[in-house]
Amino acid sequence: MNEILDNEKENSDQIDYSIDFVTCSAISRIGIKFLIFYIPIIWFSGYTAIAVFFDMSSLINNWIITMFLLPIWFFVLYFIFVFGIAIFTKAFLLIINMIHKPKEGVFLAEEGNQDYEFWRLRVELKKLVFWLMNNGPLPWIVMWGFRWLGIRVDFSSHMNDAWADGEFIEFGRNVTVGQGCVVMSSMVVGKYLIIKKVILGDYTVVGGVGNISPGTIMGKESITGAFSGTLPNQNLEAGWIYLGPHSARKLKPNKYAEQRRDIIYRKNVDEEIKYEVKQDVNIDEDKKKLLNNNLED
Amino acid sequence: MSVPSSLKVGPNTTLFLAKKRYLILYILLIWISIYTIQFEFWLFWIVYEIEKYVHFYLFLPLLIFVMYLSAIFISLIAAKVMLIIVNLIHKPREGVFLRHKSDKDYRYWSLRSVIKKWPLWISHKFPFPFMNNICLKVFGVKTKFSNSLFEGFVDTEFLSIGKDAIVGQGSVIQSAVIVGNLFIIRKTVLEENIIIGAHSIVMPGTHMKKNTILAGSSMTTVGQELEEGWVYLGAPAKKYKKNVFFEDELEHIIAAQIEKEIIPEKKLEDLYTMRKDQDTKIK
Repeated sequence: MNEILDNEKENSDQIDYSIDFVTCSAISRIGIKFLIFYIPIIWFSGYTAIAVFFDMSSLINNWIITMFLLPIWFFVLYFIFVFGIAIFTKAFLLIINMIHKPKEGVFLAEEGNQDYEFWRLRVELKKLVFWLMNNGPLPWIVMWGFRWLGIRVDFSSHMNDAWADGEFIEFGRNVTVGQGCVVMSSMVVGKYLIIKKVILGDYTVVGGVGNISPGTIMGKESITGAFSGTLPNQNLEAGWIYLGPHSARKLKPNKYAEQRRDIIYRKNVDEEIKYEVKQDVNIDEDKKKLLNNNLED
Repeated sequence: MSVPSSLKVGPNTTLFLAKKRYLILYILLIWISIYTIQFEFWLFWIVYEIEKYVHFYLFLPLLIFVMYLSAIFISLIAAKVMLIIVNLIHKPREGVFLRHKSDKDYRYWSLRSVIKKWPLWISHKFPFPFMNNICLKVFGVKTKFSNSLFEGFVDTEFLSIGKDAIVGQGSVIQSAVIVGNLFIIRKTVLEENIIIGAHSIVMPGTHMKKNTILAGSSMTTVGQELEEGWVYLGAPAKKYKKNVFFEDELEHIIAAQIEKEIIPEKKLEDLYTMRKDQDTKIK
């Protein structure tokens, strides 16, 4: 039966253009021209770090103190360098975005297409910042980097163990993205580049090594299991657990979220204690007798 | 975009099994590259007298950048010389070998992996996508500079990649694999215009013909042949649909498709029951 169906499908003239599979968001067609941006950014931020070191070390004349502070110096200079790169990259990005505004849509992934060329440029510029932040001694600062370079995310979310595109991603509160996940807002399929916004709702969890495709909307308190992937433009219903390697499908309602709500609710009520306090009335000593008489009545 | 350590990608040599006896070559390579840095810094110190500190500090960041690049290239050249000598003693070859130190092919493969490790590691410690292509070309992989191999984990020998290939985030392309006590080396061929999805694995001996897409989270088998112009999906990868996405002027059609909501429950019928090929071609 299956074979007949297969033959029918293979011979049918109807062409299936639907994007019901996931590819990748790796930048295609590497070019050496990005060095034009890399060299000034690295130079400026490196010079900032060295200038700070020179100024500070000239103030401290004692070489013993300088030697004692040297390990901290390396640490501080590294972060001055990284933050310098973030700031100069942002400056370049502002100029680039003024020339060509980033937009969603389907574009031809070939040299000459303006949207594609500017997407490549933005990706390459942001890569430098995220790379340094992730490979440094404090990888958590990459959350600040994401926020700084265009992802709407607050510090209650966790994504420093995952790969994520640098634009068109919106996070709710307390989102957890697992280790080795790929959150893509752009995807290259054949000759075309697809850019669509990804929205992860409040309290969503993306399991380890998952693929989130462009256009995915995860409802509030939804979960995708480990090794799960979403299809482009897939909407995950709020409060459900999804599972599936190529296209996540409903597994069961997310009871764990309800439990969490119960705990918070019960805690507030249980901890409420009734206090009975006897108040003294500010009254003259000779009239206190009258007050007691009233109470007896 | 950011590649955290948990994703563990990068063109490190696959299945790197460090052998203590070969580590001396590894240390030698590190020594050579650091010596280069030291020599350049000394030269800079001589040219710019320390009294002219403004010039000194102004050009120091650029010098560090140049020192980093030269360290990569010097270690690459040294590694290439070592590889030529090693390959003269024992020529690398395809086949199924025993994963044991008594097996000569396995020993020499370990040696080659140790030699290649340092230049690849150091070049991948900075996000220059083109550095990987240079390293792979020096090590003898047929590849083009336009290929995007930076985000994946690509083997360094018995590999041929055509132009405009894209390797997805966290995907693995290997030409050598260990299965139990066996050690298999097969040449992997990826032709032009191929796309490998995120978290996919290409096993040794895979032949991906041109205009093929291997969807994300998929895996090929050893020696699998992927036909031209198809989208493959699953583990093991099977034909999913015809790849029509290399045709011209499809922007509006794809944009309309992207707006449609996909119901995975319906699509799963296609994914798991109605596969288009029953027998996967394995050499």
